[in-house]
Amino acid sequence: MTAEAIIVGAQIVAGHDGSAELLINLRHPNGAEGPVQLDEATGLKLMKTCGATHVDELTGQSWRRIVEGL
Amino acid sequence: MYDVIVRGGLVVDGSGTPGYRGDVAVLDGKIAAVGKITGDARRFVEAEGRVVAPGFIDPHTHFDVQLLWDGAAKPALEHGITCVVPGNCSLSLAPLRAADRQQVIGMFQQIEEMPPAAFTEAFDWTWEDFAGYRAAIEKSLSINVAPLVGHSVIRLWVMGPDAQQRAATADEIVAMQVMLRECLDAGAVGLSTSFVDVDENGRPVPSRFAQFEELDALSAVLGEYGRMLQIVPEFYAIDITIARIDQLAELSLKHCIPTTFSPVFDSTATPDNVARTMARVEEQFARGARVWPQMQTRPIDISFSLLRPSLFFARLPRWVRILRQPLEQRIAALRDPETVEKMVADTGPDGGERMMGRLVIRGGDSAPNALAGRTLSEIAKDRGEVPALALINLSLEHGLDVALLSANAGHEVTDRIGPMLAHPLVHIGASDGGAHLASFSTYGDTGYLFSEFVRKSGAMSLEQAVRKITAETADIWGLKDRGRLEAGKAADIVIFNADTIGRGEEYPTFDMPGDGMRYVRAATGIDTVLVNGQIAYAGGAYSDARAGVVCV
Repeated sequence: MTAEAIIVGAQIVAGHDGSAELLINLRHPNGAEGPVQLDEATGLKLMKTCGATHVDELTGQSWRRIVEGL
Repeated sequence: MYDVIVRGGLVVDGSGTPGYRGDVAVLDGKIAAVGKITGDARRFVEAEGRVVAPGFIDPHTHFDVQLLWDGAAKPALEHGITCVVPGNCSLSLAPLRAADRQQVIGMFQQIEEMPPAAFTEAFDWTWEDFAGYRAAIEKSLSINVAPLVGHSVIRLWVMGPDAQQRAATADEIVAMQVMLRECLDAGAVGLSTSFVDVDENGRPVPSRFAQFEELDALSAVLGEYGRMLQIVPEFYAIDITIARIDQLAELSLKHCIPTTFSPVFDSTATPDNVARTMARVEEQFARGARVWPQMQTRPIDISFSLLRPSLFFARLPRWVRILRQPLEQRIAALRDPETVEKMVADTGPDGGERMMGRLVIRGGDSAPNALAGRTLSEIAKDRGEVPALALINLSLEHGLDVALLSANAGHEVTDRIGPMLAHPLVHIGASDGGAHLASFSTYGDTGYLFSEFVRKSGAMSLEQAVRKITAETADIWGLKDRGRLEAGKAADIVIFNADTIGRGEEYPTFDMPGDGMRYVRAATGIDTVLVNGQIAYAGGAYSDARAGVVCV
């Protein structure tokens, strides 16, 4: 078990404001999982920060990478 | 002698009870009688074969700016809307000092996507306080307005630049209470706040710097008037939304106020979110709290172009790499045949037919008007190309400024949404009318309610649907004179064809100040709309009537 939340899945979904957004599934240190939906700008930054060119490449990344993109 | 008698329609009075054939008489802006009416009138409106209902109420809009030059909030009125609630999401145009206007304009542009000319050419800033703003819009209203006052602008009024920097002091909170009281006295129907919105620089709007004590103190003032607190919760995370529901419930119970939050929408990617939200809402209502979730009727479409990076391509690594580049390099890459060949190959052996073929050209951009509304698949066939190649070449031919639409990408499964909308604790709203101008149309949601959830799926009866967006909305918001066809109530009436009412096709138009573009939908199935007893829209045209009021 890691000491921090990690991304265990990501997919593209429709955002409230009509853009494509990134739905991230996070697994927390206690094993619980939950989704967080990132707006398009934040999602694009996350992919860039992680050097990802496909959403599947986000799996295994720390939740902190999301914050770096904010 | 009545002013108007609407004769022989199916009267669906907003109460939810079965419709019946009857007449509605109007005198001095009020409904004088409903039933079989034999008296004379200056004007008769024949409603045979049509539904006669109370005017629809749209509880979540951003028409604050548009109302200053367009008192009908077009095209809301032609869709049967007779009352709009602007000032949502913590933003209103008053109270606002002259020195702070530019800052709030930036916030409005971020939310509404309104062109700068809307703020510099379309009206004169004649006010600073809420009463002044009310006077400015009241001059030419043909639709009714029940305005919220925004928490962010109250904060800005009291704290100046610090409003977007820090928590308020005890004295500042008291000053905000005083200002809120002044706004409520001047006709505000409540306070809006946001835990999500940002300004044009991506910075949190002022309301997001408030501590709970501040919201509690402002809610206490709302309690003095029994008025609404509207919030935008952190809807990107369901657990935080649920925590906000609990917080709203505490405020509702403590101060005896109604509260509402939006948006609430369904997604097959997070299929439990709405159920979890509603479970918590039900728990809190059972405790006596009023925490109304607002849900939109329309599905969510995704729009994008190659002009800016989009997550739409986030499953195509080569596309991501290329579209991530600065504009000049991006265009160069898209002009390179070898690169394009690989990009097209990435979309599959069908050249992107399955992945992109159903994308629709939106119009309102640099693409030829003739292409608007057509699918990429159709256009590709005409061009003798596969869809992925057509997308690239068409975009290149127009400086990449070709807007594409992926329709029904969220909140789109009618069989799931219908029962949600019919839930007795779901407040139908969240249209965002007057906002997102350049992204999608925020008009026609009420027509869609009837076409999709009454006619097509049968999730609710005609009478239930009418009740949801009339009497129920009026009750939630405390709009005592609205929402019912009942003697003594305001004569806000919509006459429509139950077989044809719909939201209409979306199309771009350049009717914003400075020739600004927005997407709209023209109403279908709406015959006549009366506002306070005067015909504001009939036969496909707006009248000169200016009977709209700021209603409380």
